Amino acid sequence: MLMDFIVVGLSIGLVYGLVALGISLIFSGLDIVHFAHGEFFMFGAFFGLVLYGDFGISYPITLFLAMIITGIMGVVIERVFYRRLTSQGGGYTVAGMGMIICGFGMAIILQNVAFLIWGAEGHAMGVQFGMPIAVGDITLPRSYLWILIVSVGLMAALHVLLKHTKTGLAIRAVAADKDIAYLMGINVPLMISLIFGLACGLAAVGGVLIGPINYVQVEMGYLMLIKAFAAAVVGGFGSLPGAILGGLLVGVFETLCAAYISGSHKDIYAFLLLIFVLMVRPTGLMGHLAKVKA
Amino acid sequence: MLEIRGVETGYGKLKILRGIDMKVDAKGIVALLGGNGTGKSTLLKAISGILPVWSGEILFDGEPIHAKHPHQIVRAGLVQVTQGKDSYPGMTVEENLMLGAYARNDKAAVREDLDKVYAFFPILKERRKQLSGLLSGGQVQMLVIGRGLMAAPKMVMLDEPSAALAPLVVLDIFKQINRIRKELGMTILIVEQNVRMALLLASYGYVIHDGRIHIEGQAEDMIHDDKVRHAYLGGTVAEAENVR
Ligand SMILES: Nc1ncnc2c1ncn2[C@@H]1O[C@H](COP(=O)(O)OP(=O)(O)OP(=O)(O)O)[C@@H](O)[C@H]1O
Ligand SMILES: [Mg+2]
Repeated sequence: MLMDFIVVGLSIGLVYGLVALGISLIFSGLDIVHFAHGEFFMFGAFFGLVLYGDFGISYPITLFLAMIITGIMGVVIERVFYRRLTSQGGGYTVAGMGMIICGFGMAIILQNVAFLIWGAEGHAMGVQFGMPIAVGDITLPRSYLWILIVSVGLMAALHVLLKHTKTGLAIRAVAADKDIAYLMGINVPLMISLIFGLACGLAAVGGVLIGPINYVQVEMGYLMLIKAFAAAVVGGFGSLPGAILGGLLVGVFETLCAAYISGSHKDIYAFLLLIFVLMVRPTGLMGHLAKVKA
Repeated sequence: MLEIRGVETGYGKLKILRGIDMKVDAKGIVALLGGNGTGKSTLLKAISGILPVWSGEILFDGEPIHAKHPHQIVRAGLVQVTQGKDSYPGMTVEENLMLGAYARNDKAAVREDLDKVYAFFPILKERRKQLSGLLSGGQVQMLVIGRGLMAAPKMVMLDEPSAALAPLVVLDIFKQINRIRKELGMTILIVEQNVRMALLLASYGYVIHDGRIHIEGQAEDMIHDDKVRHAYLGGTVAEAENVR
């Protein structure tokens, strides 16, 4: 039983990690905390619902398309609504503070758009994965297997992109210092679009992965946001490995507490963990590796 | 190669440059001198497109560049090495150098240029796998100059390469800058507070004061000019008299 819960916790944690990765990517790349990120997770899930349910596209292709569509949606929203503020500076500047409000506003707008299109009720994604598979004495529903494989695959791909390609080098350069990156001949505005799109695409994949397990509904975004936030902070805000580690910890901790203590307050455990970690290590677990922000 | 006509710019509403006129000829070294906060770095930022130019024009190779984006100006062959010795401390020496070549696609030539940079600054080769945050100040200065060269530019602008370095290190770096000019036929605009060293290296000099070009002339004439010292030190006429 315990092992089953841990595997479930790890899978959910990977999804938290995917969304937290995006939040951390945006934080290091654009110097902003993106409060509408949960809504991209939610939209990703809805796109998945439409693609899979209405168009009958296969699940893997649905994952891929939802990622691309949500990524493009993110790029457009960033370019049209955020860029004016972010180009004035992020962090603790006036523009940075404005960006926080702007993110909240965008979250509300996106929730309402989704509400107008899909209504308030939950939709089942109804993906037929087939029989759960047994590994040793753990029975693992295939939906969780998908989460494990796709998330780990994406994280590995992101690692390769960032550490072993020229584009990744440019992304890291833009995250570390935009003026210097410009002087390296890097098209900084384009890289910022890429970072934002990537982050939104990751969140969308999370949405399509969670869709078959939970209902797809409008509120799923902000619930995910607070978990992913907790994950990012636990891991050390801005640190990419930290986001994954934080996601896994939040997922496992929450699942175990829900199983052995009480399932009716599932959502508070993430914050108990958060408070505990911050008491012991105020920078988060891998916060020393994240870059220092002004 | 580079021609600046009546350039004005600043930060927010604060005007720093009040009409700068300058010329840098191909394959030479020109020194831009001036005291603290006189607008030298501001001018370089305007040239490389980091700061928008309010009025006036900047021509590089005959082409206007004052309305271009920084990355386009780099691709046109004009590279700035900034003042802060800002390498990317979280990246290795070699990653930093490869970033300099980001805009290029000619892999073989990039490798050749990497070897050239290592030939100018052998210590960088020795430490190429280390994080650049671990280098000494002089080594970081070598790294950022090398990173500038990796773009295979026609011209580089160096912002105070001697700042905060020990005299012997400065000497070594200036020697390499001179080698870079000779061996690569590089055009160089060097911003300096170390007036004597800069004028020994350069063939022509400009002194900027209060956002305007105050004095200009052949480097060898300027070395012996007390007006230069005076403008540079920012002292009063009486002090300049005392110096004499
Ligand atoms: N980002 C900025 N915002 C506002 N004012 C600035 C900014 N950067 C520089 N300044 C001001 O512009 C003026 C010129 O600065 P600049 O950096 O060009 O001087 P400098 O000649 O390079 O001096 P130094 O030799 O100390 O590097 C200074 O008065 C400085 O305070
Ligand atoms: Mg300066």
